[in-house]
Amino acid sequence: MSMESKFKELISQYCQSSPEDLKNDIRFREDLDFSSLDFMSFLGELEDEFDVELEQDKIVQIRTVGEALTMIKDLQEAS
Amino acid sequence: MKKYSLTAAQNMHYQWIRQYNTQQVSGLSIVASLKADLDFEILKKCILLEIKRYGCLRVQFTKPDKNKEIKQYITDKIPSDIPMKDLSNMTMEEADNTMQSWAYNTFVGDDIPMYEFFLVNLPEGYKGFFLHMDHRLIDSCGVVVMTNDIMSLYTHYRFKSDMPEDLADYETVLEKDLKKASNEKRFQKDKKFWDDQLDELGEPLYSDIQGPMVLDRARQAHNNPNLRAADIELKELFVAVKDYKLEAEPTKKLFDFCQNHQLSMTNLLLLGMRTYLSKMNNGQEDISIQNFISRRSTQDEWTSGGSRTIMFPCRTRIMPDTDFLEAAYQIQNMQNQIYMHSNYDPAFIYDEIRKRYGTPENTTYESCYLTYQPMPVKMENPFLKDIKMHSKWFANGAATKKMYLTVSHTEDGGMNFSYHYQTVDLNEKHVELFNYYLMKIIFTGIENPELSIGELINIV
Repeated sequence: MSMESKFKELISQYCQSSPEDLKNDIRFREDLDFSSLDFMSFLGELEDEFDVELEQDKIVQIRTVGEALTMIKDLQEAS
Repeated sequence: MKKYSLTAAQNMHYQWIRQYNTQQVSGLSIVASLKADLDFEILKKCILLEIKRYGCLRVQFTKPDKNKEIKQYITDKIPSDIPMKDLSNMTMEEADNTMQSWAYNTFVGDDIPMYEFFLVNLPEGYKGFFLHMDHRLIDSCGVVVMTNDIMSLYTHYRFKSDMPEDLADYETVLEKDLKKASNEKRFQKDKKFWDDQLDELGEPLYSDIQGPMVLDRARQAHNNPNLRAADIELKELFVAVKDYKLEAEPTKKLFDFCQNHQLSMTNLLLLGMRTYLSKMNNGQEDISIQNFISRRSTQDEWTSGGSRTIMFPCRTRIMPDTDFLEAAYQIQNMQNQIYMHSNYDPAFIYDEIRKRYGTPENTTYESCYLTYQPMPVKMENPFLKDIKMHSKWFANGAATKKMYLTVSHTEDGGMNFSYHYQTVDLNEKHVELFNYYLMKIIFTGIENPELSIGELINIV
């Protein structure tokens, strides 16, 4: 499974959308109805799954699926 | 049969059972009934089927080992009957009092079922079921999911509605939880977050809704003028409950404020509570409140049942010149970080505190606890939506917490503030004052978000 598929598969566990419906411009809170707890738990799971360390000041800027995906990709490339 | 360790949330309840030496502290009871001619035979069939579907109901615990640790396992034993209790010749108040007395019962023994269902025939034509069970098996969200599932099964067998979808498997979710908890890298990250807080802020400082005299009393009792924790009541656990309603219109004002400022209601409530504690404790800046969170994020976690509610201390040091909105963001920031580290077992936080500061046994840094329940308790089953309902949560009668506030939503768009308090130290007046100032602080704050916390304390 590609990194992107794994990433979207993970999101789909938190909402009622299937991985293929998770386009990059979909917003976590407004479109997927993530609560703060959902979102932060999800980010924690991303850290574990992709073995990256998220930076607190960058986390607060994430609104969409695409932004989270880019952040993980950047962190993976940097490590 | 495979045996599993307890999760952090289950262990929290188990430690209370050990500390207070009674399973009563872990009791959870509800009645769910409808003013309708329910067919008790069908309802019984549905409850028996629910026991099969909802794996958490079949959790049992082993005898404690030499280290007093227990394991859990999921038995496949299903009872053959659900007893019937006929309370229809009573008034509803008498019936509620009778069910309240059932809520005080304890499950004593190992390897036994930790739940009890009764079919209940209530006054005024209400019929339904009463459930009493151990909190280690389920929490309030789990009870709502279960009640809705039972009623969906009922309407399936009674009115041929669609069979409800299967619920997530308890054992699968449990295994995932335990695997997460044993992830060493995750553990170290979570530990670092909580240790960093102690590095930065030092030992927490107790604050009581009755003011500084409670900590002073503990300092005298321990002969330690620098003590920063107060004693926990271990013997007189009797609890009283007082509810206050907030109407729909002011509730909407709170929601609008939250929405306009991207804040969550939990954080607004925490800010109100901590400001009152600060007011009552000579402007104390470092305040800790225990906040319960329900670790339900994935779809499976929502429907697998189990006890997923766990409390973490929300500790903030807010200076008096901080404005109300900024203070709310400081709390939100803290809470968001706590959410990210919420797989951590909070017992480890206190192990570390004890190790660093030598906190005496059976003392605490927190006097107030908050649960905010955004989940509606009404049944969403379209077959039952216009039918009158009598549902009620019954206190287990043994409070482990000095003052525990549960905030939930009412069907008319308002909110309910339900205070459970230990009567040995608190009376209704304390709770009334708390609620009065909580409202005054929050509403003054949302109308004047630029007011500093110090000014707000003086104004109210």
